[in-house]
Amino acid sequence: MLWVDKYRPKTLDQVIVHEDAAQNLKKLVSEQDCPHLLFYGPSGSGKKTLVMALLRQMFGSSSEKVKVENKTWKIDAGTRNIDIELTTLSSTHHVEMNPSDVGFQDRYVVQEIIKEMAKNRPIDTKGKKGFKVLVLNEVDKLSREAQHSLRRTMEKYSASCRLILCCNSSSKVTEAIRSRCLNIRINAPTEDQIVKVLEFIAKKEGLQLPAGFAARVAEKSNRSLRRAILSFETCRVQQYPFTINQVISPMDWEEYISEIVSDIMKEQSPKRLFQVRGKLYELLINCIPPEIILKRLLHELLRKLDAELKHEVCHWAAYYEHRMRLGQKAIFHLEAFIAKFMSIYKAFLIATFG
Amino acid sequence: MSDIRKWFMKSHDKGNGNAMLGKPASSDSGKPPPAKPQPDKPVHPVQENPARKKTSKYFAADKQKLKDEIEVEEVSTKRKSRKDTGQSLKTPPSKKMHTVEEEEDDDDDDFVLPTPKKSSDVTPSKKLKSGSGRGVPKKLEDVEESDDDDHKDAKSPPKSGGRGRGGRGACAAPAGGRGRGGGGRGGFMNFGERKDPPHKGEKEVPEGAPDCLAGLTFVISGTLDSLEREEAEDLIKRHGGRVTGSVSKKTNYLLCDEDIEGRKSAKAKELGTTFLTEDGLFDLVRSSIRTKTPVQEKSKSTEKAVPSLTKKTPQKVDPKSVSPQGLALGSRAALKKDQMTKPSSLTWTEKYRPKVPNDIIGNQSLVTQLHNWLAHWNEQFLDTGKKGKGKKQSDPSAKKAVLLSGSPGIGKTTSAKVVCKMLGFQAVEVNASDSRGKADSKISKGIGGSNANSIKELVSNESLSVNMDWSKHPKSVLIMDEVDGMSAGDRGGVADLIASIKISKIPIICICNDRYSQKLKSLVNYCLLLNFRKPTKQQMAKRLMQIAQAEGLQVKEIALEELADRVNGDIRMALNQLQYMSLSMSVINYDDVKQRLVSSAKDEDISPFTAVDKLFGFNGGKLRMDERIDLSMSDPDLVPLLIQENYMNYRPSAAGKDDNDIKRMSLIARAADSIADGDIINVQIRRYRQWQLSQASCLASCIIPAALLHGRRETLEPGERNFNRFGGWLGKNSTMGKNLRLLDDLHDHLLASRESNSGRESLRVDYMSLLLKRLTDPLRALPKDEAVAEVVELMNLYSISQEDFDTIAELSKFKGRPNPLDGIPPAVKSALTRSYNESSRSRMVRAADLITLPGVKKAPKKRIAAILEPSDDGLGEQNGDALAENEEENSSDMEDQEDAANGEKKLQLDLEGLNSKAIKVELDLKGNENSSAKKKPAGRGRGGAGAAAAKRGGSGSTPAAKRKR
Repeated sequence: MLWVDKYRPKTLDQVIVHEDAAQNLKKLVSEQDCPHLLFYGPSGSGKKTLVMALLRQMFGSSSEKVKVENKTWKIDAGTRNIDIELTTLSSTHHVEMNPSDVGFQDRYVVQEIIKEMAKNRPIDTKGKKGFKVLVLNEVDKLSREAQHSLRRTMEKYSASCRLILCCNSSSKVTEAIRSRCLNIRINAPTEDQIVKVLEFIAKKEGLQLPAGFAARVAEKSNRSLRRAILSFETCRVQQYPFTINQVISPMDWEEYISEIVSDIMKEQSPKRLFQVRGKLYELLINCIPPEIILKRLLHELLRKLDAELKHEVCHWAAYYEHRMRLGQKAIFHLEAFIAKFMSIYKAFLIATFG
Repeated sequence: MSDIRKWFMKSHDKGNGNAMLGKPASSDSGKPPPAKPQPDKPVHPVQENPARKKTSKYFAADKQKLKDEIEVEEVSTKRKSRKDTGQSLKTPPSKKMHTVEEEEDDDDDDFVLPTPKKSSDVTPSKKLKSGSGRGVPKKLEDVEESDDDDHKDAKSPPKSGGRGRGGRGACAAPAGGRGRGGGGRGGFMNFGERKDPPHKGEKEVPEGAPDCLAGLTFVISGTLDSLEREEAEDLIKRHGGRVTGSVSKKTNYLLCDEDIEGRKSAKAKELGTTFLTEDGLFDLVRSSIRTKTPVQEKSKSTEKAVPSLTKKTPQKVDPKSVSPQGLALGSRAALKKDQMTKPSSLTWTEKYRPKVPNDIIGNQSLVTQLHNWLAHWNEQFLDTGKKGKGKKQSDPSAKKAVLLSGSPGIGKTTSAKVVCKMLGFQAVEVNASDSRGKADSKISKGIGGSNANSIKELVSNESLSVNMDWSKHPKSVLIMDEVDGMSAGDRGGVADLIASIKISKIPIICICNDRYSQKLKSLVNYCLLLNFRKPTKQQMAKRLMQIAQAEGLQVKEIALEELADRVNGDIRMALNQLQYMSLSMSVINYDDVKQRLVSSAKDEDISPFTAVDKLFGFNGGKLRMDERIDLSMSDPDLVPLLIQENYMNYRPSAAGKDDNDIKRMSLIARAADSIADGDIINVQIRRYRQWQLSQASCLASCIIPAALLHGRRETLEPGERNFNRFGGWLGKNSTMGKNLRLLDDLHDHLLASRESNSGRESLRVDYMSLLLKRLTDPLRALPKDEAVAEVVELMNLYSISQEDFDTIAELSKFKGRPNPLDGIPPAVKSALTRSYNESSRSRMVRAADLITLPGVKKAPKKRIAAILEPSDDGLGEQNGDALAENEEENSSDMEDQEDAANGEKKLQLDLEGLNSKAIKVELDLKGNENSSAKKKPAGRGRGGAGAAAAKRGGSGSTPAAKRKR
C-alpha cells in the first residue's frame, strides 16, 4: 500500500499535524451533535483525513464500511429530463459525493439528489444520532446557482442532516453558505511538521533517513503533506538507501510545464505560441486541471522573471484565471495568457536590450 | 465639377446626387414631349444620370416618372417597342399554352412585323421619326458624353485617384500590400501559394474609359509586378475586357511580367498571342483617356456593335412570344404601360419564362430526353396495356415516371412544362410543398385513374372525370413538383407516389432539388433520372443579354457574365437581380453588378473555411460589418474554432513594418484575449440562454481577431500546407473527455478499494507519478516473477484493473517525452497480464462495474461495487493472515462476521436470501454500529457460505471461482 494511505490517521487521536483542530473537533462531536461544517485549506493539508476521522469519531467504525455507487439519476427539470451520473461513496451514516463532477448541471444534483438524501432520516432503533452526514467535496467549484440552492437545503433539513463541506478556497463559497457553517481552516502544514511526519514514516518503515533529506522533500512539496509523502515514497522507489543529494524528481506534468516555461522564455513568436498550444493541449488531455496548469506556469515564470515584470505577470495570471472560470474552453484562456506574456516579455526584452 | 459630382454619386448618396441633378431636368420634362428638339445640353446631366446608374428607386414617384419621360425622349424609342413586346409576352400564358405550334409559326410572321409595329406603337414619342433610327445616334452622343466625363475625371487622377472607378483597386493595393511587402518571399514555397507581387501596391492603378478594353480577351499568367491577380482581373473587367483561364485563339493578350516558361506562355507563343506586361496594361488603360479620339472611336465602334446586336436580338426574342392576340393587345398595353410605372409589370422570371424547348438554357440533351420519353410514353405503356404485353417486356429499362433533379432556378419546372405543352399534354401540377402530404397522394391516385373512389374535387376536374375513357380526351401529365419536400406532412407520401406510378395511366414527372435525399431513395428506382446541370455563365449571359435588350436595358456582356457567375447558375435569381437593378438604372456596368451582388451572394452556402479565408484574407479589412457578421455567422460554432486554430498563422497587415514582430505579438495577444472573451460570452449564451448575445459572441470570437490579424497566411511549421487547419479543439476536447472518463473509472476503482480516499484531481496531480513508478519500475528492474508478483499485488490492493493500468500509462504520456511503458520487456508485460488474469479469477469485483446477478433478469439500475467492510485494525496483519485465502474471501468473511455479530435474525434472512438465489450483494447493515471482528473464528465457518454467496453475486460470471472452492 502507498504510504499516504497506509499512514493516514484513522482517528482523531492519531492525528499528528493538526492536533489542535482534531481535539476541538473531538470535543465538538462528543456532545453527539454538530453544526454544519466547512473545511477549507490548501490541498494536501489534511481536510479529508480530518473529515474521515471525524466521521469515525461520530459513528464508529461503521462509517468506514462504505460502498461505492455509480448511479444515474433521472431528473425532471421542467421541460426535459436530465440524466446525471454521479459516483457516491456511502455508508449507513454518511454519503460522500463530489457534485461539481457533473459540471454545469451541478444545480440539479443539489436540488434533487442532495435534497432527497437529506430528507430521508436514517432509522435508528436506539434513537441516537438521528442524523445523516453529507460530505460534499470541492464546494468551491460549485456553480453559483448550486450554491444558492444548497443554502435552502441546509436550513430546511438541518434536523435530519448535517453537511460537511470541503473546499480549497472559502472565497469561492458564497457568504450565505459560509455563515451557515462552522468554518474550520486547515492550514498547510509547516515544513517542520512535514519533516516530523516523514521521520515518523521512516521510522515505521525502518528506513535510514540521511539528515536534511526529509527537509529537502518537505521543501519541494510546497507544503502539501500528501505531496511530501508521495514524493518521499517515489524517492524510495527510485533509490534506496537514500543519499543526501538524491534528486527529488518533480511530477511528470510539472516537468512538462517547466519545459513550456523555458520555451516561452527563450522565444516569443507565433510559431512558439503554436508549439506551446500543442503542449498545453497535451497537459489538458492528460487530465491536468487547467487552474493547476496556470498556477504552475505562473510559479515557474516567476522564478525566472525579472522583478519588474513579476507584478504585471501576476496580474494577468489572476485575470485569466478568473476568466477561465467564467469560460468553458480552458485552452483559449491559457493561450491568451501565454500570448499576453509573450507580448509583454518581448516588448520588455527589446526595450531593455534593444 | 463633374469630378465632385461623380464623387458625390459614387459614394453613398446616389439618390441625393440624382435629386439634385434631376431638378434642372424637371423643367424640361415638365414640358410635354415636344421638348424633344430641345438642345441636348440641359438634358444630358440627367441623361447621364441613368447612364451612371443613378436614379434611386426611393424617389420612385416623381423621379421614376421623370426618368420615364426622359427615356421617352432620349434614351431609346426602341425601349418602348421592346416594352410592347414585353407586354405581349405577358399575355396570359394559358391562352397560348395549347397553341405552341401556332406560336412557332408566328415566329416567321413576326419577322415582318417589327418595323411597322414600332412606329405605330410608340405613341407618346410620336414626334420621333423612327424609333429605331433615333436610338442609335442618341446613344452615340451618350457615349461621347460619358467619355468626355471620364476624360475629365482622368485629368485629375492624383486627387480623385482613390475615389473614382479605379479607386477600389487602388486603395486595395496599399492596404493589403504593406504587410505583405515585408513578408519573406522565397524560402519554402508552398503549394497553392503564389508569390507576392514584388512591388505590391507601389504603382498607381490607372483609370481609363470604361470600355477601353472592350472586346479584348486577356489571360494572366505568373506573378505581376504590382497587382495581385485578383486586382488585375478586376481592372480588366472593369474596363470591359474579358479574362479567361487559358490561352486560346481568341486571346488577345497574355498578361505576364517575367517570362515564366509556363504552359500558358508556351501556348501563347505558339498561337502568336501578344505578350503584355503590367505596365503595358496600364498604358493601354491610360491611353484610352489621354488620346481622346482613338478611344472614342473605339468605344463608338463597340457601342455601335452593341446596338446592332440589340437590333437583332429583340427580333429573335420577340417573335417567339408574340401571338396574334398578343400583338393587338400589345399596342394597347403599350399605351397603358407608358402611364404606368415599370414595377407594375410582371416579374421578368415569369415574363421571360421559356416558351419553347430551345429557349431553355443548357441541358438541351436532357430536355430532348424528356421530350422523347414523354412522346413515347403512350405507346410504351398505354398501348401495350390495351393490346397486350408485348412491348413493355421488351424494354424493361423504360420507366413510367421521370425524376428531374438539380439545384433551384435552373429550369426544371419550366422544361417540364414546356415539353408538356409542346407535346400537347395538359399538365396538372401538384406542388408538393403547398398542398400537403395526404391530399397529395390522394390527388395523384385520383389522377392515376385507378381509384374508383376518387375525391370529389378531382371528379369535378374535366380531364380526370373521364380519364377512364382515355383516348377521347386531351392527354394529361402529372407534374409532381418538389417531391423532396413532400413527406414533411405525411409519412406515406413517397410510398404512395410510387404506388401511383405503378398503376398510373398518365406520365408522371417528379421534380426535386436533391436527388440523393434520403426520402427519395425508394422513388429513384421507379424513375428515369434526369439530372439538370447548371448552365455555363456564357449561356446564361447570352440569354440575359437578350432579356436585357428586350427590356431596353443597357448592360455590358461582361457585367452579365459576372452576374451569371455570382448567382451560381440560378437563372431565376439572375433575372430577379437584373430586374431589381433595372429599377434604379438603365445602364448596368460591371461594377454595379459586382457591388450589387456582393451583398446578395451571401445566400449561397459558405463553408467555414471559406468564411475564415475571407475574414482573414488580405481584403478582410475592407469587408463591411454586416458582411463580417454574415461570414462568421455562417456557422457560429465552427467558424470561431477555425479562427482560434489559425489566427496566429496570419501576418497581420495592420502591423505594418514590424521589426522583431513586437506589434504582431501584441496583436496576437489582443486577438487571443478577444477569443477568450468569445468563450465567456458563449457560456452565457449556452448556459443561461442569453441568445441575444450571439452577435457579441461572434464579434468577440471572430470579427475582432480577424480585424486585428487579417493579412497573409504563413506556415509555422515546415512542411505544413498553407491552408487553414481544422479547429483542433473538438478533437482534443473529445480526447480529454475520454481520458476523464478513464480517470473516473480509475478513481472509482481506487475508492472502491477503500484504501484511498482522494479526489479525482489529486489522484491525477499527485498520485499518478508514484503509482506509475510503483507499477512500472519493478517491471524494469526486478527479475520477472518477482516483479510481476509485486505489481499484481499492488494492483489487487488498489483494485487497479488491467485497463486502469493502461489508463495510468496513457495519462502519463506526454508528446516529446519517452513513453512510460518503454523499457519494459514484452515478456514481462505478457507475464503480468497472465498473472493478473489468473488472480482476477478469484478476485472479487470491487470495481463499480455492472454486475448481472444470476437469477435476476434485469440488471439492477445501480452500478454497485461490492460492499466493503471496515478493516479497523492493522490491515497489514490481516492481509498476512489471509495469505492462504484469496483476498475477497477475506472481505466476504468480514461481511459475514458482521452478519454473525448482528445476530441470528439477520443471518437467517441472509440464508433465506441465499436459498432463494436472490443473491445479496448489498448488505444493508442498518444500525449495526458496533460490528467488529471479534468473532473471527466463529465467523469463519459461516464465512465460507457467505463468501460463496458473495462470489456468486459478485463474480457471478466466473463460475470457475466457485469450482475452485
